[in-house]
Amino acid sequence: MILRRQFLVGAAATVAAPSVLRAQGAAYVLGTLFPMSGANAEFGTMYLNGVQLALDHIAADKMLKNGIDLRPIDSQGTAQGGAVGMTRLANVDRASYVLIGFTGVSKAAAPIGDRAKVVMVNGGGVGPDLATLSPYFWNILPLANQEVRAVLPFIKEKGFKRIAMIYTEDPSGMAVHAELKSGLPGVGGELVGAYGVAPTLTQFAAIAAQVRDVRPDAVFFASVSGVQAVQIVKQLRDNGISQQIMTYSTGNLPSVSALPESEGLVFTGQSADWAATEPTMKRFVTGWREKLKSEPTTYGLNYYNATLLFAQLAKGLEAAGKPVSGETLREEMLRVRTFQLAGGEVTFAENGTASTGVQLNQVRGGRIYKIA
Amino acid sequence: MIAYIVNLATLVAIFGIAAASMNLLIGYAGIFSLAHGAFFGIGAFAAAQLALNLTPDLLLAFLAAASLSIALSLCLALPALRVRGEYFIAASLGLQMFAVTVFHEAPSLTGGHGGLAGIPQATLLGIEVGTPWRFLAVAAVTLVLSLLLIQILMRGSFGRALMAMRDAESAAMAFGKNIPLLKTLAVAAGCGLVGIAGALYAFHISFVIGDSFTLEQSVLLQAMVIIGGAGTLAGPLVGTLLILLLPAALTFMPMIPPTEIGTVQQFLYGAAMTLLMIFRPGGIAGQSVGRR
Amino acid sequence: MLFIQLLASGIQTGALYALTAAGFALIFGATRIFHVAHGASFVLAGYAFVAASALGLHWAAAVLLATAVAVAFGMLVDLLVYRPIQRHEASFFTVFVASFGIVICVQALVQFQFGRGSVAVSTSLTRSAELLPGLYIAPVFWVAAGVSLALFTAVSLFLERTNAGLGLRALSENPELLRAYGLSSRRLSALAFGLGSALVVPGAILTAATTGIEPAASHRVMLISIAASVVGGIGSLRGAALAGLMLGVVENLVVLVLDTQWSEAASFVVLFVFIVFRPSGLFGKAVTS
Repeated sequence: MILRRQFLVGAAATVAAPSVLRAQGAAYVLGTLFPMSGANAEFGTMYLNGVQLALDHIAADKMLKNGIDLRPIDSQGTAQGGAVGMTRLANVDRASYVLIGFTGVSKAAAPIGDRAKVVMVNGGGVGPDLATLSPYFWNILPLANQEVRAVLPFIKEKGFKRIAMIYTEDPSGMAVHAELKSGLPGVGGELVGAYGVAPTLTQFAAIAAQVRDVRPDAVFFASVSGVQAVQIVKQLRDNGISQQIMTYSTGNLPSVSALPESEGLVFTGQSADWAATEPTMKRFVTGWREKLKSEPTTYGLNYYNATLLFAQLAKGLEAAGKPVSGETLREEMLRVRTFQLAGGEVTFAENGTASTGVQLNQVRGGRIYKIA
Repeated sequence: MIAYIVNLATLVAIFGIAAASMNLLIGYAGIFSLAHGAFFGIGAFAAAQLALNLTPDLLLAFLAAASLSIALSLCLALPALRVRGEYFIAASLGLQMFAVTVFHEAPSLTGGHGGLAGIPQATLLGIEVGTPWRFLAVAAVTLVLSLLLIQILMRGSFGRALMAMRDAESAAMAFGKNIPLLKTLAVAAGCGLVGIAGALYAFHISFVIGDSFTLEQSVLLQAMVIIGGAGTLAGPLVGTLLILLLPAALTFMPMIPPTEIGTVQQFLYGAAMTLLMIFRPGGIAGQSVGRR
Repeated sequence: MLFIQLLASGIQTGALYALTAAGFALIFGATRIFHVAHGASFVLAGYAFVAASALGLHWAAAVLLATAVAVAFGMLVDLLVYRPIQRHEASFFTVFVASFGIVICVQALVQFQFGRGSVAVSTSLTRSAELLPGLYIAPVFWVAAGVSLALFTAVSLFLERTNAGLGLRALSENPELLRAYGLSSRRLSALAFGLGSALVVPGAILTAATTGIEPAASHRVMLISIAASVVGGIGSLRGAALAGLMLGVVENLVVLVLDTQWSEAASFVVLFVFIVFRPSGLFGKAVTS
């Protein structure tokens, strides 16, 4: 009511293309609940770019009879922002499908979406407890515990015995800590120091001193914040730590990989082959490069796929003459299970988790290379 | 849409209680605490733990939240008795910062950085009151009762003594008022009431996390009281309405990019605080504190 | 060796805290205004420096620009906000709220212009070398320590040896005396704000270089300044500087005994304990009510 927004003003210049695709009938409401401001805005912008690109492609293909009306809400990356934003998306905007990111945000929003029967799809948060939040909460990426296992063979191969770790004391950071602690002995390693930090800390000189003091062979850090990751890498190097630094998917962030101090950084991330010849992937990669003049990221890919998934589900429902709602979308997902998305076939488990493979990357000369 | 308005109205009621309790300290007792957000949080965590582990009964949650807040309010009363003015502000600031660290670093009590999720719907005397309309009713009734209580207290001898102390502490002392007792009681009442608001908040959002009870929250509560008008009954409510409806109204304005709403809102209430202090220090509903 | 390393990084942090807190104490001592927008000066100076560097300005020019921004901001706030308020009433709390409003506004404006994330300048000064086995010191350590010491000495000399300096010290105590000496209290208050605000510049710039600076940094700066002033004894420049140094050292050393997350809280416990048990601070006069 009151003011139906006819147009959208989204993040930065990335939302230049008209995002409301009008056709006959009411448009489907697609909500996003990303951090568009705050320390994690870099993620939100990237997520939204993936969604926008998919919407462009869906419109170009005329996949759906009705248009898709995108409602981006800023979660600020906080739990409260997630709860308030989800209430708005579910009750005011009446979204049937919400793309969501971040573990804390997801955990706060999930009960609200669950009550209102709104499908929520996560392509960014990696806390392991996201797998079991609600039947309406789906994940389209490997969660932290699955991801971190991929670094263990590398540790074994390099013969690293003593590992020091810096992690944020939030659910994802603690999950990575637990995973690494239990996984290291299996590859002949040992966690010689683990330093929990607040997710907002930016001064790491004291921690760097402690890390150096335990004489590790390599340092692993787990932080979902790009701002923090940049400071950790920079200040570790500034303070005389020349050992191998490792992390998980945060390394994908352009601000991290472009940092001169990140040279040699090894990080895990879900598999994505930008050079693949599979047509959907090819279209995603070329589209991203053309539109955003930058290299694609896995986060962009996840939300591209999550949006594409919505279009495929809604198309199936349209064909069957059913209305599109959270409930019918879930039924359709359970009926079809396997979808053709960018990068190949993706199969969802009963609980709505679909994980793709994990690979190991390294930063060299500001670019990301797959090493295993 | 209705659901959205009900949700907003519930928030207004909850923050109305919190602001009224802040007003008890700032407006009536002259105690300018920057730690009110922390006590809001203490109430919320107490209610959340009770609901998660024992019972989602609202009255018991109120009791638990208020008693814990009152017990811990001694941390605030102690400096309030010792020092005045900027020293007390600094002490409350220290307390607020310390409380946030505890909220984040005591996972067994507060869920740490992950927070406490899945707080069950509240019940009142065995009746489910978790549905939006019922919960709004409960929150509204609590707000009205709190305002009535404050009104009665402030009209009575306690209130008069409190305001006498605020205006001229030495004079009040000369008249035989027990200043330490007055201050301790005022701090306890304010903190207890905000604890109750915290309990309502926990049930309403059904998720509590330390991030919601930071210095920003304290400042927000202060802003509500000051913008509305400190030392008046209606002031905190006016301030709460303005501050909570502002972002909601901004979301419906098409010319402001949704990504900048938080920033615009922040700027507006910062500017309002400064301008009001220059031109109308009594707040919107107030007379003028200048006369004090 | 860990102890010495932590002590060194504590001194580096503390030296910058000391200067910033001294600026706050200078303003408070002279004008009795609890200038919480001091943190906003810090953020503005830091961002001015980053922006100027990004434009390719020589670092010296960027430092000048940052100083100009901080000084102008401090003096403008005094002129446009504090003075009108003090004209009709001088309640401590009114000034405090107005000042807090400015902090919030500045934070919003900086966010709007530069985004919420932190910004940093890249310099080789932050890259440390092994001084002794296990002790790594970056050139920025010497810069921080040297600049702080030099500026602090300069300001102390100014306050003790010049007429204006003596006037500043007398301002809060005896305005009548000032008039007798032919000094204007209005001009002196502008001087206090200008000088006090200029003292944030080294901290702001070096923070931008070592850890990056963000719009919300003003809160932290404000907290540290208040904490240092109270612990040092409100109004005492020397006390604030010493306490600032001490807070920096405590913050770093505390990780020896406690988990890292508690390092920030440690400063505030120190503050709280001082207020409750020794509100006069290290060098102050008794102030209990």
